[in-house]
Amino acid sequence: MLKVIARTANLAKTPLSRSLPAFSTCGARLSSSADPTSRREAPKLENETVLTLPEEAHQKNALESNITVPTKVDLTPVSGVPEEHIKTRRVRIYQPAKNAMQSGTNNIHHWEMEFDTRQRWENPLMGWTSTGDPLSNMKVQFSSPDEAIEHCEKNGWTWYLDVPKTEKPLKPKSYGINFSWNRRTRVSTK
Amino acid sequence: MLRQPLTRAIALSSPSRVAPLGARRYADAVPAQPEKVEVFIDDKPVYVPPGTTVLQAAAQVGVEIPRFCYHERLAVAGNCRMCLVEVEKSPKPVAACAMPVMKGMRVKTDSDLTKKAREGVMEFLLVNHPLDCPICDQGGECDLQDQSMAFGSDKSRFTDIHFSGKRAVEDKDVGPLIKTIMTRCIHCTRCIRFASEVAGVDDFGTTGRGSDMQVGTYVEKMFLSELSGNIIDLCPVGALTSKPYSFAARPWETRRIDSVDVLDPLGSNIVVTTRTNEVLRILPRTNEEINEEWLSDKSRFACDGLKRQRLVTPMLADSRGNLTPVEWEDAIVAAARAIQDCPPDKLLAVAGDLADAESLVALKDLVNRLGSENVYTERDFPLEGSGTDLRSSYLLNTKIANVEDADFVLLIGTNVRFEAPLLNARIRKAFIHKETDVAVIGPKIDLTYDYLHVGDSASVVKDLATGSSSHEVLKRLDAAKRPIVILGADQLKTQEGSALLAYTQELALRLQDKLQDKNWKVLNVLQRSAGAVAALDLGYRPGVATALAAQPRVVFLLGADGGVVTREQLPKDAFVIYQGHHGDVGASIADVVFAGAAYTEKRATYVNAEGRAQQTLPAVSPPGRARDDWKIIRALSEVVGERLPYNNLDEVRDRLGQISPALVSYGEVQDNNYFAQARALSKSLQKPVSGTLDVQLKQLEDFFMTDPISRASPTMAKCVQAVIKQKSSVY
Amino acid sequence: MAGALARVIQGTKSHLGLVGPLVNISNVPVRCQQTQAPPTKSQYGPLADSDRIFTNLYGRHDWRLKGALSRGDWYLTKDILLKGTDWIVNELKTSGLRGRGGAGFPTGMKWSFMNKPSDGRPKYLVVNADEGEPGTCKDREIMRHDPHKLVEGCLIAGRAMGACAAYIYIRGEFYNEASNLQVAIAEAYQAGLIGKNACGSGYDFDVFVHRGAGAYICGEETALIESIEGKQGKPRLKPPFPADVGLFGCPTTVNNVETIAVAPTICRRGGKWFASFGRPRNSGTKLFNISGHVNTPCTVEEEMSIPLKELIERHAGGVTGGWDNLLAIIPGGSSTPLIPKDVCTTAIMDFDGLVAAQTSLGTAAIIVMDKSTDIVKAIARLIMFYKHESCGQCTPCREGVSWMNKIIYRFVEGNASPKEIDMLWEISKQIEGHTICALGDGAAWPVQGLIRHFRPELERRMQEYAAANGPSKAERLY
Repeated sequence: MLKVIARTANLAKTPLSRSLPAFSTCGARLSSSADPTSRREAPKLENETVLTLPEEAHQKNALESNITVPTKVDLTPVSGVPEEHIKTRRVRIYQPAKNAMQSGTNNIHHWEMEFDTRQRWENPLMGWTSTGDPLSNMKVQFSSPDEAIEHCEKNGWTWYLDVPKTEKPLKPKSYGINFSWNRRTRVSTK
Repeated sequence: MLRQPLTRAIALSSPSRVAPLGARRYADAVPAQPEKVEVFIDDKPVYVPPGTTVLQAAAQVGVEIPRFCYHERLAVAGNCRMCLVEVEKSPKPVAACAMPVMKGMRVKTDSDLTKKAREGVMEFLLVNHPLDCPICDQGGECDLQDQSMAFGSDKSRFTDIHFSGKRAVEDKDVGPLIKTIMTRCIHCTRCIRFASEVAGVDDFGTTGRGSDMQVGTYVEKMFLSELSGNIIDLCPVGALTSKPYSFAARPWETRRIDSVDVLDPLGSNIVVTTRTNEVLRILPRTNEEINEEWLSDKSRFACDGLKRQRLVTPMLADSRGNLTPVEWEDAIVAAARAIQDCPPDKLLAVAGDLADAESLVALKDLVNRLGSENVYTERDFPLEGSGTDLRSSYLLNTKIANVEDADFVLLIGTNVRFEAPLLNARIRKAFIHKETDVAVIGPKIDLTYDYLHVGDSASVVKDLATGSSSHEVLKRLDAAKRPIVILGADQLKTQEGSALLAYTQELALRLQDKLQDKNWKVLNVLQRSAGAVAALDLGYRPGVATALAAQPRVVFLLGADGGVVTREQLPKDAFVIYQGHHGDVGASIADVVFAGAAYTEKRATYVNAEGRAQQTLPAVSPPGRARDDWKIIRALSEVVGERLPYNNLDEVRDRLGQISPALVSYGEVQDNNYFAQARALSKSLQKPVSGTLDVQLKQLEDFFMTDPISRASPTMAKCVQAVIKQKSSVY
Repeated sequence: MAGALARVIQGTKSHLGLVGPLVNISNVPVRCQQTQAPPTKSQYGPLADSDRIFTNLYGRHDWRLKGALSRGDWYLTKDILLKGTDWIVNELKTSGLRGRGGAGFPTGMKWSFMNKPSDGRPKYLVVNADEGEPGTCKDREIMRHDPHKLVEGCLIAGRAMGACAAYIYIRGEFYNEASNLQVAIAEAYQAGLIGKNACGSGYDFDVFVHRGAGAYICGEETALIESIEGKQGKPRLKPPFPADVGLFGCPTTVNNVETIAVAPTICRRGGKWFASFGRPRNSGTKLFNISGHVNTPCTVEEEMSIPLKELIERHAGGVTGGWDNLLAIIPGGSSTPLIPKDVCTTAIMDFDGLVAAQTSLGTAAIIVMDKSTDIVKAIARLIMFYKHESCGQCTPCREGVSWMNKIIYRFVEGNASPKEIDMLWEISKQIEGHTICALGDGAAWPVQGLIRHFRPELERRMQEYAAANGPSKAERLY
């Protein structure tokens, strides 16, 4: 993930995009390939660095860099969400369904999480919809189900994944088949 | 904000993206795929099979070309001209929806020429389209709105100084479901193509020409189809909108909850649209393995039945036998007392059509704990032979999606069109696109396609099974590479049911054994209700008649509204407990009524006719004091003194999983086997049969009201009226 | 060369009857030798009577089989048929015949598309006799006065493409023409010229007449196919071309009546003879219809590439009030852009010559308008015609043409803003090339021609209107 951002950042490294704050967060990662304009002269290289064999250099690098150990992060003690809304809620991770009324598909390529529906009622004052559920509007979008799952795990929510069955093999459509001589596809009217 | 497009790009390329499972195996088994051709969409290369249209090729690389008339499930019309794109070396822009790709074709979907063409078409479409978006029900989910925002011009050049106005077209009356405002029509002809291709009711067409062209039925006529509601979805503008939903809500003020339909045995995927605590409408949700993107009219429009005739509070019969609202406590205690007083063998539980798996398992566990085995389904099924022990004997083994790959379909005693409209749509799809032939044993019915009528006698099935028939159908079946046989479950309730099932099994399995494709399943039994398969899976026994003969003292009706259990059959002092969501047949004979939740109000498991477990999601909360069904039974068990060992839904589902893992593997369907065993066990049942096969739903008017929800629906009642009225019309 | 020879034997029209029988196959070798190395011609037309294909264009002789035989029709048709597909197609290719229906697609090439290996489907020839283009009246003359030319042409064209039947889709209004044609077909059947073993060649060929219901759009080839199939006459998209999926889903070629009717003569007299007329790529003779403000409106067969002015002066008796009284000419039927007088003076009546003049040969129906014409109203009337005849299937034509119609009728009185002229131009450009069939183009071109050549006239009317009535409302709204 980060790698991809870094790659994209490099690609977009024109003077214009340099100020983009979105990429500045991964500056540490990028320092080796930093913007050349920020450097005044050629870097000085230690003799040792030049002379080391590639394996040795790799080993040295490995020793110097940090090792990331996957640990389970639990945000529940600090997130401030009442325990009731952590223990009893169930998160559905899904891809939004295409609106049957429309043919566009631009807004359904992400993954979303939503909580189970709790009671809603019409507010007698204005006719708006009221609910006692603080999580009822928490629809978060993710680019992949993995991210959504990670997010739910961090927050201690029970989740389940709903994979839509919307893929189908590509069948070439044919205009000529409307007029074919011996098929039942002939359309009578239009 | 900035992260969004970037992460999306990553997601599309990332291998970790979960690939949707279960692509159809039988799709176009062309022996040698022709070589793919390379085309360039906006300089992005893509390899597609020859004959693919430019629009499809563009979709492969994620470029969506705007369209109005094109729909992937309908024939290509190519008349809206919105999909015009520039193709290199072509002087004119070409219609992407109809143009087949050619090798090395370079398509520019974002060039100036393309943009100009779109802008022009958009402007023309808007010339005669009324500016009534504020009062149009399509507003907010209108393709024309969206595309004019995206591709249209920023101002109007339409100077109408004589105020001659836009074209006005008289509205058509096509029945109580579809509201037409024909002035808004942009003549995409999607509805016409849907009616003639998918619905098979070729009533729509265009009359007049030029700017006087009108879409309509020529003579005023109701759209007599069980799939008519889909043209509302198909209409890219507000010309066809939902009559029951008219002026009800805007899409941005509603919530959409994905759920599953239970009004037919297929379990179509739906989206329930709600506002406040009210179900406003139901729309289909794409599921390629079940309903594609269609939905039957009953599933779509019966939702107003969810607001009427509801049981909103528990009730208890008073001294004069009138049901009066009581507290939950009183109702449960009264029921528990009756159950405790009842000898175990006199306790009977009957499950109805709409019962979900969770409440079914809870009720069965309770009854079993009380020492009784009397759990029955309302619907009948032969118990002789393998009975309901083998799943393959009562499921749609071929699976819905595979039906369209069949090359010969034999329907025995079933009117698929009204029992499972979308299965019929699949058969029709096969009939049209794959030249599949269909034969029917049973009454002559209108299935929207031609079929071979083999007769309506059960003995025909016997003759086919034993191979003694001289009918052409036998030869066709023997010659077929992928035949399927669908037996209507309704035929199994007669005395001859077991023999009929045995012969059908014999026939189907004889055919299946000969097939080259060893994975192809021939035998199918089409259940009539959404709850049937789960009940049989859980061990509910069919055939409540025998149990009623044993004079039960306490009868627990779990949504049993089929009218199978009547007061007359029960002893005078019998105590009837009804649990369900509608005040229908069952509640009228009850002593205690537990108010349950309907399918839009609970998270519940339903198993469709294929044996695919799916879950509904609560879209609204149950009305009044109604509660989740399994919780009611759980509460009752506590008072009865046989506490059920589950406290939350997960534990109930664990229990379901113990009984059958298939009940909790949501969305998936397993292949069934043990056909040979079922066949062996059925050998002894092959007795002579003499009856005639009849179906319950013959006409369109029979289709609309078949269960407590649709019987309570005013829209469905209007449909019945309208159909009867239309049938008396000269057209 | 041919022209020089033609002038020698040029006679009066009353001699036509004598000339007809002279036209026989024995002429061919002689002529071929003479045109072995055709010198580049510099002058085209007038056509010699001996070179006329349609020798009974004016119905002065018997149109029935007997008369047709006396004019040389059905002469040695069997031999032509027996020479086979390739020979006929080659002869057509040599002749350089281009479709006479408007688009001008090379006929030989079109026929050769049909000679793909058979996939079991029958092939059909469809003859487009739905002559609905305003100003055009050539096919009806053929059908009522020389129907056997068409029937024989069907047989030869059918043989060339291996078709099993020809459908002649005749315009509904052409009652007498359809009647004559039907009689001719019946005669041909009775004489064994068509039907089973046509002309004794061993080739079976049927000819059917299908009468249309009078929709202009049914003259578009795919709409015509739809109409024969019994559906609404709404054009189909291409691809698939009719040669691939056409009538009843089978390979089909749709040709104009004139194209088919000249084919027998081309086969008999040789492609080179036909190619000797007109400029390269525009060869042959052609029926020209001259109507409007001329002294003697007529339909006449002339050599291609004849100058427009000469054509009008020689055959139509000149423009009323003299050439100087000419305002504009629509040279190819209503769907082609008009050309003003100065262009007319130099225009050459052939495909390339008129393209150079920013118009098109179309069906060669020349509509002459003299200075008494309200040119804007004339074009507006044409647009109204197209609005009425648009099939309504595809958006740009359905909506765009009626929009243009609204605007241009305001232009007639000048109740419009000068800015709207550009807008109208743009609208016509938005229709052109964006529709399924060519009707959209045909509706857009007259408007484009008007704006291209008569913009000052439009502006003058708007000024006059503004002077008389105050500024147009359109000025404020647009």
